[in-house]
Amino acid sequence: MRGLTYFRMTALFLLGALGHWWWTTYLSFWGVAPQLLLVLTFVVAARRGPVPAMSFGFAWGLVLDVYALHLMGAASLALTLSGYLAGNIRRQVDVSSLAPQSVILAAGTWGFFLFTGLLGLIFTKSFTWPGWGMFLLAPVLNCVLAPLLFWVWDVAVES
Amino acid sequence: MFLPMAKPIRGLRACVAHVFEPMTFAGAEGMERLSLVPSRARELIVADIENRSLKEEIARVELVKAEMEALKAENARLAAGLGLKTVEGRSVVWGRVMERDPARWYHGLMVDVGTREGVPLNAAVLAHAGGKVVVLGRIAEVSERTAKVLLVTDEFSSVAACLSSGTVEGLVQGQGSERLRMNYLHSEATVMPGDEVLTSATSATFPPGLLIGRVAKGYARDPFLAFQSAEVRPVFDPASVKEVMILK
Repeated sequence: MRGLTYFRMTALFLLGALGHWWWTTYLSFWGVAPQLLLVLTFVVAARRGPVPAMSFGFAWGLVLDVYALHLMGAASLALTLSGYLAGNIRRQVDVSSLAPQSVILAAGTWGFFLFTGLLGLIFTKSFTWPGWGMFLLAPVLNCVLAPLLFWVWDVAVES
Repeated sequence: MFLPMAKPIRGLRACVAHVFEPMTFAGAEGMERLSLVPSRARELIVADIENRSLKEEIARVELVKAEMEALKAENARLAAGLGLKTVEGRSVVWGRVMERDPARWYHGLMVDVGTREGVPLNAAVLAHAGGKVVVLGRIAEVSERTAKVLLVTDEFSSVAACLSSGTVEGLVQGQGSERLRMNYLHSEATVMPGDEVLTSATSATFPPGLLIGRVAKGYARDPFLAFQSAEVRPVFDPASVKEVMILK
């Protein structure tokens, strides 16, 4: 993978995990913060395809699972699937341009919440609901964050 | 444990946590140090002024302490005379909130104290809100340096409670949202909005008399049920909790 050395991959994983933790813990307003790791998985899928995106998604999902209390593996599975789907969609849709990117990310964010909620319903008999604020506003924040992360990726990895 | 996880999964989770938690722990410590830098200089001056007044305060506290010891001894004598069991005193560990995710706002958070500080599983977790000590949740997972708190608002959480207006007992259960539900209230009990909901003496985890929340409304009575329910608004705000008090 050109531009994505082992060092850069490790740095990307650590920075992503730390960034998500920092943002959700210290920078969430009114109980809302973007899903940084979901957006990053999407960026990796758009730029590098499904396999790297699934690998990163799985590893970042494990980090989210460690923070969560109930269902181990729900976030890893959801992010792995997100990476796979986004990685395959990029063959049909230009995911780098703003409009399709926003549509896919918004749908992906709702899909992520519903999928993890359904997994909770199946395995713990309780739908893990993030709250209306998060459900409605997180897709917007994710869509705003995505172009910035695409730019950072292009500067830091592709250059 | 009340969470439906098999033993091998818990083992795997512990291993993964062992790998990732130091990152969060170090990050939280770094953030704490950074945020303290500007206030440190001012604190030095303030500390000197406080030091003088505290020396005077300590002299007064010694007197209060002596009075308290005398009352404690008297209480023990009277309790023994009446044949009452005395409640063992619990020590407190303070922890700082080091992780919380808006996606799990009403479910749990992580604090920076663990088995190293003697935090046991299922310990009561309290917080300060509006000048009162209030119920926050209980320890659901504990590792060497961190612990995860299951908030009372989580669906898997329930606390034995009573209403301040009388001796009506019930069970406060989390809904995974900003509201709680108090079930199993006596069908003839009067439930008024604004009533304080306190921990009951029958609670195995929490000391009695701690504030959980206030009644928002009573649900319409179901003729097919032998009890009534009420909606409870918790007093703590998950966004504002910075430090927690853990009873061990």
